[in-house]
Amino acid sequence: MKKLLWLLLYLAAMPAAAIDGAQILQKVDRNLEPESYESYRKLIDIQPDGSRKESVLYTMKKGREKIVALFLAPQSDKGRVTLRLADNMWLYIPDVGRAIRVTSLQSVTGSVFNNADILRIDYTAEYDMAEAEEQKDAYLLSLKAKTGDVAYDRLKMWVDKKLLLPVTIEAYAASGMLLKTLHFKDVKDFGGGIRRPATLETDSPLYKGYKSVMLWSGLKKAGYPDEIFTLNYLPRVQELRK
Amino acid sequence: MNSLRSLRPLWLLALLLAAAGAEAAEEYSFDASEFEKKPFEIGGYLQLKQEGFALNRGSAFYRLNTIGQPQRESLDRSTGTLELIGKLRAGTGTFDFHTHSDLQRDPLAHDHNNTLYEAAYSARPDPGLTLEAGKRTLRWGKGYAWNPIGFVERPKDPNDPELSREGLVMANADLIFNREGPLRTIAFTPVLLPVGRDVNSDFGAAGHLNPAGKLYLLYRDTDIDFAWQAKGSRPGRFGVDFARNITSNFEIHGEWARVSRFPKPVTDAAGRVTTEVSDATSYLLGVRYLTESDTTYIAEVYRNGTGYTDVQSRQFYQLVDAAFAQLQETGSGTLLQRALSLGQGGYGRPTAGTDYLYLRAQQKDALGVVYLQAAVTAMMNVRDRSYQVTPELLYTGVKNLDLRMRLFLLQGGAATDFGEKQYSRKLEFYVRYYF
Repeated sequence: MKKLLWLLLYLAAMPAAAIDGAQILQKVDRNLEPESYESYRKLIDIQPDGSRKESVLYTMKKGREKIVALFLAPQSDKGRVTLRLADNMWLYIPDVGRAIRVTSLQSVTGSVFNNADILRIDYTAEYDMAEAEEQKDAYLLSLKAKTGDVAYDRLKMWVDKKLLLPVTIEAYAASGMLLKTLHFKDVKDFGGGIRRPATLETDSPLYKGYKSVMLWSGLKKAGYPDEIFTLNYLPRVQELRK
Repeated sequence: MNSLRSLRPLWLLALLLAAAGAEAAEEYSFDASEFEKKPFEIGGYLQLKQEGFALNRGSAFYRLNTIGQPQRESLDRSTGTLELIGKLRAGTGTFDFHTHSDLQRDPLAHDHNNTLYEAAYSARPDPGLTLEAGKRTLRWGKGYAWNPIGFVERPKDPNDPELSREGLVMANADLIFNREGPLRTIAFTPVLLPVGRDVNSDFGAAGHLNPAGKLYLLYRDTDIDFAWQAKGSRPGRFGVDFARNITSNFEIHGEWARVSRFPKPVTDAAGRVTTEVSDATSYLLGVRYLTESDTTYIAEVYRNGTGYTDVQSRQFYQLVDAAFAQLQETGSGTLLQRALSLGQGGYGRPTAGTDYLYLRAQQKDALGVVYLQAAVTAMMNVRDRSYQVTPELLYTGVKNLDLRMRLFLLQGGAATDFGEKQYSRKLEFYVRYYF
C-alpha cells in the first residue's frame, strides 16, 4: 500500500518534472535563428525628446559562437565591423585600420543595446538552466551565466508555449540589479522555415526615457568559411555580401 | 449639415489616429534591399577645423619654425579637409582608394595638399588567401598612442591616434588558417616594400625591396603578433605584441620591439653631431578599463628606445640657444642650419624622448547628454616631468555629423619636452560631415 502511494505521488509529480528547460532553450535558440545565417538589422535609438538615431548592420553567424556584424549606415559608421568569437570581441574601425578589443557591456553604437545584444550568440552557449517553470501561456526560464565574462549574470526569459519563442527577457547584473528588459514583437515568416519576432524593443532603468529598437530583415540560412571570423579578414568582410 | 458639423471632432480624431498609425507603421519599417552591395561605392567626409594657438615665444621649436617671420603671441589657423573613400568591385577582386586634400590658411602661410593615402587592388582567390598590390596603410601593434612594432607604416600622431594616415606602396598577402582548440587562428601577412627615388622615398635608403611580415595567433583568447622587417632601407627589426581581456571590462596589451644597429644622430651643445649606432629596444604596456558608469580609462607606459635621453635633448635645446646667439652676434647661420636640420629630424618628433606615460579617461553620455563624450588625455615625459593635458568634448548626436572641441594645455620648464614645443596652449574645434 505504501509503495502504491509513493507511485501515485511520483506520477502526480511527473508533469512538473517533464519541463525540460534546457531543451526548451535549445529550441528557442534554433527558432530565433538557424545556427548559421545572414541577416540585416536596423537599430533605432529613441531619445526622450523623440529624436532618433538609426544604424544598419549586416550580420553573419556561424555555429554557436562565431558572429560578425558590418555597419552599413549611418555613413559616419560605415565599414565598422564587430567580431565575436565566444567571449572575445573586437571592433574594427576603417580609419584606425586595426581591430581593438571591446567588451560585451560597451555599446559600439551608443545605444541601449550593448555589444552583447548586437553580437548575441546562442543562449545555450552562454547560459545554464537554473530553473524552469510552467505558467499559463508561457514557460519562465531562469538562466545563469556560465562564466563571469557574460554581459548579464542572470536572465529571466518568458517563452511563448506554442511558438517556443521568447516574449520578454529581463537581464540582471550579478548584484541582482535589473539592467534591461527586452520585448520581442511582430512574429513574422522570413521564409525557409524561419518564423520569429521581427522587432525587439528594449528599455533600461539605467537609461530612463530612452528606448532602442532592433528590426530584422533578410534573415536566412547561410554557410561561411571559418576564415572570415578572424581579425585579418575584418577589413574585407563587406566583400562577402551578395 | 448640423450632423456633419457634430462629426467634425471625430473626423479630426480619425485623421489624427490615421496620422499616428501611419507614423507608428513608419516608425519600425525596414527594407534591407536599399542596402544591397553596389559595384561602385564612394563616400568620405568634409571637415572644417579652426585652431587658435597661444605661441610659446621663448621655446626652441617656436624660434626654429618662425625664423625671419614677424613675431607674434598667437596664431589662428583654418583648415578644410576633404577625404574620399571609394571602392570598385569586379569578380573576386576589389580596387579601393582613399584620397586626402586639405587647404590651410593662417596669417603666416596659405598651404594646400593633395595626397593619395591608399590605392590598391586586392584579389581573394580563396577566403583564406588575399593578395594585394598598391598603396596601402598597414597598422601593426596593439598600443593606443604608440606602436613600437608598426614597422611598415608612417608614424602615428599620439595626439590623434585614430586619424587616417598615408600608406606605403607595397605588395602584401594574407593567409588565414582557422582551427579548433586553444590555438584558434593563425594568420600570416608577408609584405614586400620597395624603396626608390620616387617610391616610398621617406621610408629609408633607396634601392631596396624590403621584406617584412607579421604572424598573428589567437591563442587561449589572447591576441599575439610576431612582426619582423629585414635589414634594407632601414635597419632590421623584430617584435611581438599581445592583447587580452582579463575580465569582460578589463583589457591589457603590450608591445616589444628591437631595432638592430639603429643609427641616431646626436648633437652636443656646440653643434657637433655624431651618429650613435646601437640596438634599440622599445616597449609599451597598456590597460583599458570600463567602469559600470561607462567611463573608459586607457593607460599606457611607453619606452622609446630610439628616442633622445634627457641629457641629449637638453644639449639640442642648448644648441638652439647657441645658434641664435651666433646669428645675433656674428650674423652666421651655420649653427642655425644645423639646429634646423636636427629639429626637422628625430628631435622634432611629437614624442622624441625616451619615456612617456599616457592616460585617458572618457565618459560616454557625459553631463546626461546622449552622444556627448567628454574625455581628458594626459601625456607626460617621465624623464623631465613636462606634460600635456587635453580636455575634449565630442558630440555625435546629429546624423553623419561629428563636432569635436579640444584644448591642449602644455606645461614644462625650459629645456623640457613639452616646455620647448611651439605653443603652450591650443584650442581646436572641428565639424566633420560624413557623406
